[in-house]
Amino acid sequence: MNADERNLLEGLQEIASEGPRQAPLSMEQRLLAEFRKRSRVRRARIWMSAAGAGAMAAAIAVMVWIGPLRPEPRALQQDAVVQADETAADFYPLPDADGLPPVESAMVVRVQLPVSSLESIGFPVNQDRDSDPVEAEVLLGQDGLARGVRLVE
Amino acid sequence: MPINSPNADRRNKLMLESPSHSDDDLLRLIAKGHEPAFVEFYRKHQGSVYRFALHMSGKTEIAEEVTQEVFLTVMGVANQYDSKRGSAVSYLYGITRNFVLRCLERERPYTAALEEVENDQAAALADEQDPLGELERNERIESLRKAVLALPPAYREVVVLCDLNEMDYAQAAVALGCAVGTIRSRLHRARALLMEKMRAAERCAV
Repeated sequence: MNADERNLLEGLQEIASEGPRQAPLSMEQRLLAEFRKRSRVRRARIWMSAAGAGAMAAAIAVMVWIGPLRPEPRALQQDAVVQADETAADFYPLPDADGLPPVESAMVVRVQLPVSSLESIGFPVNQDRDSDPVEAEVLLGQDGLARGVRLVE
Repeated sequence: MPINSPNADRRNKLMLESPSHSDDDLLRLIAKGHEPAFVEFYRKHQGSVYRFALHMSGKTEIAEEVTQEVFLTVMGVANQYDSKRGSAVSYLYGITRNFVLRCLERERPYTAALEEVENDQAAALADEQDPLGELERNERIESLRKAVLALPPAYREVVVLCDLNEMDYAQAAVALGCAVGTIRSRLHRARALLMEKMRAAERCAV
C-alpha cells in the first residue's frame, strides 16, 4: 500500500467516524405508529372478509335447507296476459260481475289486498288479522273491469 | 389457519424467542403484522440504511427521508419478499438504493448552490477554530467527502459500503446483489478515482 492509498483510507475512516450513525430516535416511534395503524386496517379487512364469507356460507346453507326459491311476487298491478286455456272459472266471481259481458280475452293483475276487503266478497276472514295484507290475483276482462279474484297460495 | 389464531401466535412467539431468528423469519412475521418483529428488524438495520443514505447523499435530511421511506416500504411489501430471489439484506439495500437515487435525482439542480453555502460554512468554522493543521485536515477531509459524492453511483456505493460502512466484500456483494469479484474491481477503480481527484485537488491548492 503506497502513501496515497494510506492517506485515502485514513481519510475515509475519518469520514466514516463522523456524523450520526443512527436514524433519530423519533423515527422509530413514527414508524411504529404507522405500523400499528396499518395492522389495525389489515385486521379489520380480514374480519370483514371473514364475516362476508360467513354470511355467504350461511345464505347458501339456508337456500339449500329451504329448497329452491319461489319466484318473486310480481310488483303490484303488474299485468300478465292470461293463457287461452285459463278461464274465469278459476276465479271466485265478484258480486258486481254478473251483469258484465262474458270474458273473451282477459288479463290477470296480482295485487296485495287487506284481509278485510275479502270479507265483502264472501271469504271467511279472521277478524284479528283483518289489516294484514294478502296476495291475490284479479281477473280483468277485455273492458278492463274486474270479474273475479283468487288468492295466491 | 387465521394468522391471529392462538397456534399462530404461539408459533410467532417461538420464532421471535429463538436465538437465531433470521431476517427471512422477521420479514415473514412483519408481513403478518407482528409488531415486535418489525421493531427488531428496524433496530437491526436502521443504522446501516441510514449511514448508507447519508454517505451516498451527504445530507442528513435525505438520510432520514430515505430511512423512513425504506421501512415504510418494508412494512407495505414484506409479503412480496421471496427468499429464493435474494437475501433479505440484498432486498433491503435494493429498496434503499432506489430511494437514494431518486432523492439524488431530485436534489441535483440544487446541489451546486448548496455546495457553495457549505464551503463558506466550513471555511468559517475552520477560521474560528483556527490552527493551520486543523484547517488543512478539514480541507483534505472536505475535498475527499466531495470526491466520494462525485463518484458515479456504482462506484460510490461500494466505497460507502466497504470503506464507510465497514462491510467486507462478501457482505457488500450480498447487499448489492452482485459477485464478490465485481465488488473488488469496482472498489479498486473507485479508490483510484478518489486518489486521482485528491491529487488534483492538492495541485490546485498549491
